[in-house]
Amino acid sequence: MNRRDIELLSAYLDGQLKPSDSARLESRLKSDPELVAVMDDLRAARNLLRRLPQRRAPRNFTLTRKMVGQNPPLPRAYPFLRFATTLATLLLFFTFGLNFLAPQLAAVPGVGFGGGGDPSIDLYSESQAAEAPAAAEPPATQAPAATEPAAQLAPMPTMMPTLESERNAVPPTEKIDATGNAAVQDQSQVVNEAPVPVSIGWQITLAAIAMFGALLMLLMRQSAFQRWRQKE
Amino acid sequence: MNEQALIQDAQKGNLDAFNALILHYQDSVYNTALRILGDEDQAADAAQEAFISAFKSISSFRGGSFKAWLMRTVTNACYDELRRQKRRPTTPLEPDTDDGEEMDSPRWLADPNMTPDQKAEADELEHAIQHCLNNLPLEFKTVVIMADIQGMDYTEVATSVRVPLGTIKSRLARARLRLRECLQGFEELLPSTFRLEEGSSA
Repeated sequence: MNRRDIELLSAYLDGQLKPSDSARLESRLKSDPELVAVMDDLRAARNLLRRLPQRRAPRNFTLTRKMVGQNPPLPRAYPFLRFATTLATLLLFFTFGLNFLAPQLAAVPGVGFGGGGDPSIDLYSESQAAEAPAAAEPPATQAPAATEPAAQLAPMPTMMPTLESERNAVPPTEKIDATGNAAVQDQSQVVNEAPVPVSIGWQITLAAIAMFGALLMLLMRQSAFQRWRQKE
Repeated sequence: MNEQALIQDAQKGNLDAFNALILHYQDSVYNTALRILGDEDQAADAAQEAFISAFKSISSFRGGSFKAWLMRTVTNACYDELRRQKRRPTTPLEPDTDDGEEMDSPRWLADPNMTPDQKAEADELEHAIQHCLNNLPLEFKTVVIMADIQGMDYTEVATSVRVPLGTIKSRLARARLRLRECLQGFEELLPSTFRLEEGSSA
């Protein structure tokens, strides 16, 4: 009795042999009692296994959506809304940071917004300081009053070099030429303003977009989950 | 139950359709896991894992016998569980030999020194069969469970185990032989119509 015979007998019991192989094995079974005994043993073992009671599952194995990490289908606008909200939030924080850092960066010589530390601003302040007395000469009576504050204020624009300050800073010589008092007024306005790179209006707009977007996303999700639960 | 329609719906992500399939197959899956692992709690966990895994990978099902595909999933879950057990070994039931090696024969339960009462206490027929199954090599055990306990045909078993048909025939024959040898130790527990003849070893 070899392994091949046992495999043949096992397959024969299951009806898995070709008709020709079955016929050959059946003829051997008629003359070989040992073969018959092994076949009986195999059959008995197989029948015992088949008699093994099938247990009922101790519980239902049905799956919940949570178990498989399934989420409800969200509206098609949801990804766009999420992108816009995220972008608005990031920009908002960026503007906060920018406005906070602007005065500190401007205090560093050669560093400024809009000009990357444009030397013309310094040149302006120097030239303004130098020109101020000269420019104040024609209106002789008002010159001392006009030049003194101008000279004092001249370095200030370099501390807050913004586009606005630049705009105000370019024409002073002309303004001083024309009316010295007007020039002083403009310069003091530049000093008194707290110039920021991003206006509060933009920040409010970004905050509104972020909050509105987040609220809308929350409502969309809640609505999607409710519809989903109703379907279940 | 229209199995094909349910499978197609499940492949589109319909969990209700897949749950209908689970209800149909859960007993078979649980029993397969139970016979491979030999422990009810572990079998329940493995069956649950298998169904979760099956749902997540149902898109890979390309037709054929769904039961065979499902059985492959559950056997993989059982193999994972057995690997975990190997990493965290527990005290074996089998006694050690004098050399300190584990006995590979289950006949220790049929020790002639044991009284019939002790045997009767220790084993019922089902436990005896389970014990013999547990002593089979894993690849033999899987095949014999699928073919003889789950009643799957050779092709289905080959699909599940992913081995050639000839290997299935060979493993099944050898598994039955080993079971026969093992069950001879539990002669008294066997129903009279299924008593195995002594001395008919191959």
